[in-house]
Parts: sequence; structure tokens; C-alpha cells
Amino acid sequence: MALILKIAWRNIQRHRGKSLVVGIIIFLGAMTMTIGNGVIAGMDRGLKENVIDRFTGDVVIISAKQDQDNVIFTPMGRDIEVIPGYEKVKKVLEGKKFIDRFLPVAKGLTIILNENGDMSYALALGVRFDEYRKMFSDSTDLVEGTLLKNDDRGILVSTGNRKRFFEEQNFWVIPEGFSFNEKNFMKESSKKSGVIDKRTSLVLMGGSNENSTMDIRVDVKGVMKFKHLDDFWNHFNIMDIESFREVYQYVTASDTAAVIPKEKKRILEKDNLDDLFGGEVLEKVETRKQGYDVSTLMGKKVVQKKLDVDSGAYNLIFVKLGKGADAEESVLELNAAFKSSGAEARAIIWRDAVGQIADLSAIMRGATRGFVFLIFIVAIIIIMNTLSMAALERVSEIGMMRAVGAHKSFISGMFLSEMTVISIIFGCAGIIAGIVSVYILNAINITTENRILELLFGGSVFRPVLGIFDILKGFAYLALVTLIATAYPLRVARRITPLDAIMRD
Amino acid sequence: MNIIEMKSIKKDYPLGETVVHALRGIDLDVEEGGFISIIGPSGSGKTTLLNIIGCIDIPSAGSVKIGGEEITSLDDRRLTNIRLFKVGFIFQTFNLIPVLNLLENVEFPLLLMKEGGLTKGEIRKRAQKCIEEVGLGSFMDHRPAELSGGQRQRVAIARALVTKPQIVLADEPTANLDSETGATILSLMKHLNETEKTTFVFSTHDSDVLKYASQVIKIRDGHIIDIDGPGAAKKMKKKAGPAKRGTR
Repeated sequence: MALILKIAWRNIQRHRGKSLVVGIIIFLGAMTMTIGNGVIAGMDRGLKENVIDRFTGDVVIISAKQDQDNVIFTPMGRDIEVIPGYEKVKKVLEGKKFIDRFLPVAKGLTIILNENGDMSYALALGVRFDEYRKMFSDSTDLVEGTLLKNDDRGILVSTGNRKRFFEEQNFWVIPEGFSFNEKNFMKESSKKSGVIDKRTSLVLMGGSNENSTMDIRVDVKGVMKFKHLDDFWNHFNIMDIESFREVYQYVTASDTAAVIPKEKKRILEKDNLDDLFGGEVLEKVETRKQGYDVSTLMGKKVVQKKLDVDSGAYNLIFVKLGKGADAEESVLELNAAFKSSGAEARAIIWRDAVGQIADLSAIMRGATRGFVFLIFIVAIIIIMNTLSMAALERVSEIGMMRAVGAHKSFISGMFLSEMTVISIIFGCAGIIAGIVSVYILNAINITTENRILELLFGGSVFRPVLGIFDILKGFAYLALVTLIATAYPLRVARRITPLDAIMRD
Repeated sequence: MNIIEMKSIKKDYPLGETVVHALRGIDLDVEEGGFISIIGPSGSGKTTLLNIIGCIDIPSAGSVKIGGEEITSLDDRRLTNIRLFKVGFIFQTFNLIPVLNLLENVEFPLLLMKEGGLTKGEIRKRAQKCIEEVGLGSFMDHRPAELSGGQRQRVAIARALVTKPQIVLADEPTANLDSETGATILSLMKHLNETEKTTFVFSTHDSDVLKYASQVIKIRDGHIIDIDGPGAAKKMKKKAGPAKRGTR
């Protein structure tokens, strides 16, 4: 072995040019690979922090009747099925030790109505807000107003939706009891001048194709911004679960009877949308020419049909798993438990629930992996070619070694040692350079507001990360590159016979 | 005792659509301790014959025994072992390992002989002795590039002898040397032949070389056409008996 290493080391020095070419390729390959691994790991961590920890949890429970798993961003805001018998599902979830906590929510598309017939759309999450904050404590920043409390009726409007409402319907949402914040308006709005309608409440109608819906007026309690991946999540407003259920009619027949008083029923009999905005519907503000009185409009109903869902209706349950629990195994176990307990629910992995985000993220990750793989292949081809040429240039030397009694294994050992020494020196340097680059990239604090880059970054800040496992993976890849790149030249060298050397002479 | 026994050796090389018949049926027996010269014009088959004896090439037909062991049916590993333990090579173009110094080059085959049972110290000692015998004791740490052609050929001889092989094969060992150096090399080989009783088989074009040979084998067009030699040659021929003219 000492002899092989001695010859290998001296050959590296003798063929400095080729060794340097191979070394530089390995260095660059190892560095790119390490940075790529850092980006992918950062993306994974970012998605975990920004999707799992702040929006969906690891597992999402949906109705067993729900045909498509993509429940968060359903195409055209399509309804998702209500989970029947929530109590039964809840019991199953409470009995699983691998679950850290869970949050039932109602999710749907709401139509934002206006007196002039204009309308906008926004997704809404109906939650008990204190529970929501316990589950996703670090997901939102309050921009204006106040947060909801469990017993509050009201809605938190996202800055993204506030901007959309303004662009589509020309009114600017401000929280009830708060004054117009010009600074935020200038920052968020694309239209900086003209008349500004200000509204402290929204008239919402459930945007369901299948169920009956009700339109109600809901006070805006606050304006909030999602801390991360806001471009994706800002389609959602967050409202109290009771208001959501009213909008979507997630109530039993008896509940319906209880919640609709006589005077409202009289209005319902008219079944006239114009009544909703008749008279003094909207608040008068100094920038408007027209004003409305909204005080009498809460709870008016446009269409009423009876639904067969219970009063505890939810259509999603976000589940966070305890430390070390595997999401896929948990899904299997939960589905088995639902089946055996007769609960009409189904557990899915978060990435299935978020559909497009996971798909786009998978594409970005795939592209990054593809790039790293391409580097890997190019490096292998160049190294393989260079080493094969080196082997053919050394026919006399190798043939002579074979003639005086060197076995093929000796030649293999010599070639592998040369390549291993080069790989260790330049590859390790490349990995170290990659680690340093990752730290520098973190320190630079690169931010983006581009949706695609946000997915690549796993959030709005580029945070590549390298754990010990990623670094070890880098070394494993390096060893693999070395082996693959050496395999063909090794074959060439092993095939050199003493006769080849003599014939060349 | 015959150290080399060759019967009906043929060697064909396909060359495009034709076949070159390098050896056309060689019968040759060589006794241990001989100093055999193979002569003949270029393309007559000298090198091919040496390559087959040295297990570097295998015949297309016929039987070859080296030290009593049939080699035509051996795999690469066993042929390599014969080259390592029984045969020493001296090439026309010296063929030393450029990255090793003179001493390391000579040690090289001994280090390959894992089962040789020699310690590192013994290996070094034996290599140094061989180098001193070829008169290069003061050049031990020189690399091949720092030596003259004659010196390199002497290193090759030392390397061929260091394993104490039964046979040393030399393919035109003086071809790239001036006549004075060539004569020195031949004298050295002859001396080692006489002192170590090592069998030498070498090919040459050089008529001056013949005076050293105990037996001269003339070869043309793949046939042995004559076996002769000055002085001991006749005796050798008689003694070597089986060494005979080409059969075709």
C-alpha cells in the first residue's frame, strides 16, 4: 500500500497539469454541490417553517368524501367537503400520542359584495382565533387594528386582500374603531390619488356552488400580513368560526331557526339583493360623495336552504405532529384509526393539501437537484476523459509494471489512489468553500418578493442551511463522483498489457 | 534440465482481413544456465518468441513449459506470477518507472512479491547489492531521467536480476546503446550468467553480441533455420539436444 501511495503521489506531482485540471473540476463540483445541498436543505427548512409550522401543520384531515386532496388552493375556489361527525374525529386525534396539537378550521371562498354590483373574491379561514394563535403562533403580523379573541365576531383582512378590494371595488378597508392610516395606504395601494372609500365592515357571501349560502356583514377587526410566503397566504382572510358558519350555512335546521329572528325573516321573504345596500348602507367619509347606513344589514339572507351538516362543522383539521413523528406513517395510522372508529375523515400529508405550492416547490427543488446533478455529470465526464487520456499516455509505464509482475489490482490501486488523493485535497477544499459560501449567503441576507424565488428560498429570505448530514452527503457524493469518474479509466488501465507497452515502443 | 520447452509454437496476428504468421511452428528446448542469443532480421519473430517465453504473449497453438509448468492455459493472475517469480525482463527502451529513483526501481519487483517473505531491510539490502554489481552504487537516489542510456539499461538489468529469476529475457538490450556501452552491458550479463547461473535469452541484430552467446538461434519468417554458436555453441547444441531447426 505504501508503494502504491508513493507512486500515486509522485505521479500526481509529475502530471501536475492534468492533476490540477481534475482537481479544479472536483473543487468546483464539490463547492457547487455543497451550495446546492444547502439551498435544498434551506428550502426544505423554509417550507417546514413557513407552511407546516405556520399554516397547515404536518398532516391535514379532510372529509372522507373529499375527492381531491388539493384543499387549500382549490381550483376556482371550489368547495371542500365538510367533515361529518367532528366529535368522532376529534376523539381519534386526542387519542394519538404522536400528535402535538390540532386545529379544526372551516375554509371557503367568500364573495365580497358591493352596493354597485361589483364583487371581489377572497378565501377565508373560519377559526377560533385564540386556538389559531396557539397552533400557529408566529404566522401573522398585525398591521392595523386588533386581533380577534375567541368570542369576537369579526374578520382579519390580509393586506393582499385589502389591496385587491381597493383595486377591484375602490374601497379601502380599515379596522372598526381605527382611523385611516395614510402611511399604510401609500405603502400598500397601487393607486395613490383620487377618492378613497373607507369601510370598516365587509358584506360577505359564501361562494359555494353546492351549498346554500348567506350574506352577512362582518366587522373588520384588524388588517394583518402573513409573515412568510405572504404572496401565497394573503388570499386568505381569517374570521371567527361562527360568522363563517353563518356565511356558509354550516348549521343545522334547528340552529337556523334559532338564529334568524322574525324581523330578518321578513326581509328574507323579499329575497332582494338590492335591499341589502338600500338607503344609508355605507359609512360616510370625507373623500366620498355618497354615504350609506350599514347598521341594519347584519344577518340579512339572500338564499336559504336547509343543510344536513352539524353545528360543529369544519372542513379541515390542521395537525402538528410531535417531535420525531413521521408524517407518512402518522397518516397511515390515522387513516386506520378513522376507519376503525367509523369517522368519515381522511388524513393527508401537508404537501398534498397545499397542491400548487408543494408542486411548484417540488419543481424548484427538482430544478436545483437537476442543476447539481448536471454539474455532477459534467464533472464526471471531464474527469473520466482526462484520466482515460492519462492512462493511455502511460501505456509504457503501466505495461512495464505488468511485465515485471504487477497484478491488475496493483494498477487499479495506483489509479484509485491517485484519484482519491486528488479528490480528498480538492474535494475537501471544495466542500469547505461551499460551507463558507453558504454562511456568507446567509450573512448577506438576500430577500425577495418574487413568488417563484420565495419557493426556492422557502420564504422571503434566502437561508441556505447545511447540517452535518448535508455535509456528510457532500462527502458521499464526492466519493461517488470519484468512483464513477475513475471506473472507466481504471478499466482502460487494467486492460493495458506488457505487450501494449512493447508494441508502443 | 530444460528450463524452457516449446513445442510446435505458432503465433498469428490478425491484421485487418489478413493474418500475419509471426511464428510458424517453433520447437525449442533451452537448458538451465544457457546464454542464448536469438538472431534474425526484423519481422522474423524474435520478439514474439521472447514474449511467449516471458508469458507476455500467448501462442496461437503449441505448448510452452517454463520451469516445467505449462503456461498456455494459465489465467492472467498466474501468468503475472510467473513473470514476477521466474522471469526477469530487460527491454530495449529501458522502461523504468520514471517517478521512482534507481534504488526504488530495483526494489519494485521485490515489493510486489508479497509472499517473498523478505523484510523491508532485506529488500533494500538486496537491491543495493544488485545496483552495486552493475556499477551504479553512487547513483541510487537518482531518477531515471538523470541517468544515461547505458546506466538506465544497467538499472534494468539489476531490476531483472534482483528477484533471482530462473530466466532473464532481453529484447535487443544493446540496440539503443553505443558499442562501448553495449559491450559493457553484455559483459555484465555474461558475468551474471556465469556467477549466478541464470539463464539468459536475448534477441539481437548485433553481430558483436554473438561472441558472448553459448548458443545462437537463427530465426527467419517464423521458423528456426539454424542453431549454432562460437565455442560452447556446438557443445551447447549437443547438450541442449532438443534445440533444433525449425520444423517447417
